[in-house]
Amino acid sequence: MIDRGGSEALDTCVHCGFCLQACPTFLATGDEADSPRGRIDLMRALETGELAPDDPALRLHLDRCLGCRGCEPVCPSGVGYGRGIEAARAMLATRRRPPALARAALRALTSPGPSRIVYALARMLRATGIPRRLAGWGRFRFAMGMLAATRPTRNAKRGTRNTRAAASSAFRVPTSALLFRGCVMDGLFSHVHDATVRTLGVNGWAVGETPGQVCCGALHAHAGLREEARLLARANVAAFGEGDVPIVVNSAGCGAMLKEYGHLIGAAGFAARVRDVTELLTAGGGPRPGAPVDVQVAYDPPCHLLHAQRIADEPLRVLGAIPVLRIVSLPDAAQCCGSAGLFTLLQPAMSRAVLAPKLASLRTAAPQVVATGNPGCVMQLGAGLAASGLSAAVRHPVELLDESYGAAGYYA
Amino acid sequence: MITAGLVEALTGIVGARHVRTAPAERLTYARDGLPTHRRVPAVVVLPGSRDELAAVVRLLAAHDVPFVPRGAGTGLSGGALADGAAVLLVLTRLNRILSLDPSNRVAVVEPGVVNARLSAAAAPHGLHYAPDPSSQTACTIGGNVAENAGGPHCLKYGVTAQHVLALEVVLADGRVVELGSPSGEPWGPDMVGLFVGSEGNFGIATRIAVRLLPQPRAVRTLLAAFASLRAAGEAVSAVIASGIVPAALEMMDQSCIRAVEDSVYAAGYPRDAAAVLLVELDGHSDDAVVAETETVHGLLSAHGAASIRVAADARERERLWQGRKKAFGAMGRLSRDLVVQDAVVPRSALPEVLEAIGRIAATYQLTVSNVFHAGDGNLHPNISFDARVPGLRTRVDAASTEIMEACVAAGGTITGEHGVGLDKLRYMPLIFDAESLAAMRAVRRVWDPEERVNPGKVVPVHACREWSGLRIADRGLRIEQQARSPAQSAIDNPQSAIAPRGAR
Ligand SMILES: Cc1cc2nc3c(=O)[nH]c(=O)nc-3n(C[C@H](O)[C@H](O)[C@H](O)COP(=O)(O)OP(=O)(O)OC[C@H]3O[C@@H](n4cnc5c(N)ncnc54)[C@H](O)[C@@H]3O)c2cc1C
Ligand code: SF4
Ligand code: SF4
Repeated sequence: MIDRGGSEALDTCVHCGFCLQACPTFLATGDEADSPRGRIDLMRALETGELAPDDPALRLHLDRCLGCRGCEPVCPSGVGYGRGIEAARAMLATRRRPPALARAALRALTSPGPSRIVYALARMLRATGIPRRLAGWGRFRFAMGMLAATRPTRNAKRGTRNTRAAASSAFRVPTSALLFRGCVMDGLFSHVHDATVRTLGVNGWAVGETPGQVCCGALHAHAGLREEARLLARANVAAFGEGDVPIVVNSAGCGAMLKEYGHLIGAAGFAARVRDVTELLTAGGGPRPGAPVDVQVAYDPPCHLLHAQRIADEPLRVLGAIPVLRIVSLPDAAQCCGSAGLFTLLQPAMSRAVLAPKLASLRTAAPQVVATGNPGCVMQLGAGLAASGLSAAVRHPVELLDESYGAAGYYA
Repeated sequence: MITAGLVEALTGIVGARHVRTAPAERLTYARDGLPTHRRVPAVVVLPGSRDELAAVVRLLAAHDVPFVPRGAGTGLSGGALADGAAVLLVLTRLNRILSLDPSNRVAVVEPGVVNARLSAAAAPHGLHYAPDPSSQTACTIGGNVAENAGGPHCLKYGVTAQHVLALEVVLADGRVVELGSPSGEPWGPDMVGLFVGSEGNFGIATRIAVRLLPQPRAVRTLLAAFASLRAAGEAVSAVIASGIVPAALEMMDQSCIRAVEDSVYAAGYPRDAAAVLLVELDGHSDDAVVAETETVHGLLSAHGAASIRVAADARERERLWQGRKKAFGAMGRLSRDLVVQDAVVPRSALPEVLEAIGRIAATYQLTVSNVFHAGDGNLHPNISFDARVPGLRTRVDAASTEIMEACVAAGGTITGEHGVGLDKLRYMPLIFDAESLAAMRAVRRVWDPEERVNPGKVVPVHACREWSGLRIADRGLRIEQQARSPAQSAIDNPQSAIAPRGAR
């Protein structure tokens, strides 16, 4: 048998069209070339040689796929769209290097040396409050809005890296878990890592650090840079070592990627250990309820949690552990926000078109906080809300739980 | 002829982003929901408004270029395909619900509105759009009108034709006419009834006024498992004979049950049953519905149901229905390629026909799965195969034809709801003689004298509500002699069923 690198996952498509209305880019343009079914036709034509890898129209429409995998859970035929598109992108990348902007962004955000400087500068800029004031539409101002959205909210408990939570408040002997830090999460969202460690501590988990870990490789894989992704994957597998201690992740994009290591490098054992933070918090009937927080929250599920990892209820159960907090529902919440890793940088027009209906429903629902568990989504939604003059803040669900636990005195 | 000048002029009307000429882009429109047919259109145009669409049609008429309307491309007869000499007009951007009037229970929509989105919009008013093709989460109201689509609940509530009140249509020459009236009581012949089911051969529907119905207050859904197809078929006849009209009465065979149970839409159907029936009863009084449910329960047991489950709540009911509605898609799990048939047989003939289909499948060594609207005898045998295996395609075609012949021999016909399109052209002579076919063509030419809209696909006029008793042949020929289009007569006489825009 020939190794088709993942394309075989598309074979079961029967062209029924059930995926069309689940695809944000099809909804934005109405063009089947921007739909899952149409893209599967394109990928098949690429594989059979009917279309050449340098066909500009083929590239345009495959590049415009968010990789949100909204098309997967609605497909009765079980088409593995995500695997198919990564295979196609890997094939395209062998013919043409990803655009310079993509390569520069990958270097700046994910490579250990340069990224440390980039994130330090970004945090300094963020602290000045200037990005918040500049936030708006247009490439530069949107980027400023994205940076501003990463800022911890004032009432969030400031912690240091190794904040030890009151694990003693749990009755049982703490169980071990290892935190996956990631690149953007570590650079700009360390407050979410702190909240993760503290809230898990209250629920009986002792979360430890793992030296030597690197970026998960998701952005590389989405850009078709499979070899780079494999190198990173191997480094992570080596860093986390053998054993069955759960690896806890609070970024949906990273979690989805780590769970794919089985397909990517055959590390099925590693993949099986990976848990989203909301999975661990809700294990065994948790999480423990906290103190009331009087706030209206809209939960916007990240695609890589809902579609790729099929985790739907757990984040809502985490929010449900906060008394008084009210959840307002968003129509079409399952639709992508248009962030999709580097997509927001590389395809700004399509990214904003996909964001528009989301902002419209947020305007109607008018929550005080939008909760979502992925750094890209926090930044995209935050920038979009700021640009539209909406005041809602965007936060990770564990940040809200952390606030509730803080108020309850669990950390005293 | 499609020239560079024509493409430029099209761009002038709809904008460069909405004219697609690159081979890769056109290729994504080469098939519909029945992927065995493939035709790559010359140009794809996505107009953004009714006026843009009419301007495009006028331009194409002036250049004598044929064109094909397309909704969501979920059709199952190859109807929405255009070849290299034709332009494909994609209506997905015409997706606004123009008005929704809860007190008169009428909605006016553009053709690209997705069926399920209309029902979702009506739900806050306690209303819904009754025709519910299994493809309702994807297909468009325009496509439903063109195919006179049915669905599980059409057994009680009637197919699309019973729910369309009025239409605005762009004719082949670009003129815009109105058919029917939103009150549902038009003058003269039933032009709406004629247009519904015309498979894009009479023009393009650009505005559609539909009836909305109140959501039933009481609903019960039963799932009954049977050890043989024959027993299930007999139970269907018994339920209908009892005089109860279920809201829906659907059947699935074992191969289909297993495909669904393996998919994300697994509904808890018993995997070991030879067939299951899904029966829904609804009404306005809970007592009446409960009484009917008991009667049906008794009938099903009397006819050998091995187990019967009544859905406990709305959630379970939804799950049972999702499994049924996604069954066709789930069949993709069985094999790479799939053809679906669409035949209607008298209900009483169901047991014999199902057995005949089983025999044909065995003879040709093919996997045939059945999922269908049992209550109105509308069969959908699905043949799964791998087109890469040499010679298999021919066997599938031969088996398909034999299945069709068996249905016709049992007193049935070649399409219930998927239309003739390209796929069933070959079966038309099985049921119509040459004179009838000529008459149908003549009717089509009344609307579209040059046969420019959706060329090469034959009009079955199967949706005609009021002409069904007429001798179509005579009438069709007379109309051709007059050689007048309905629009022309409307201009002479604004009181006729077809009035030019603004005449009312
Ligand atoms: C999984 C699945 C299940 C299905 N279940 C059912 C079912 O239960 N019942 C049923 O009846 N059908 C069913 N179908 C078939 C199909 O969904 C229907 O025929 C539907 O009405 C097609 O709508 P569409 O928008 O996809 O039209 P398309 O496939 O795009 O077009 C169908 C035909 O309509 C014409 N057309 C489209 N729009 C217009 C317009 N505005 N004016 C004039 N002509 C137009 C096209 O030229 C073409 O000939 C199913 C299909 C699938 C894939
Ligand atoms: S829903 Fe699945 S089988 Fe149907 S067209 Fe989409 S990918 Fe193909
Ligand atoms: S991954 Fe998202 S954007 Fe890409 S085809 Fe699927 S639904 Fe559409």
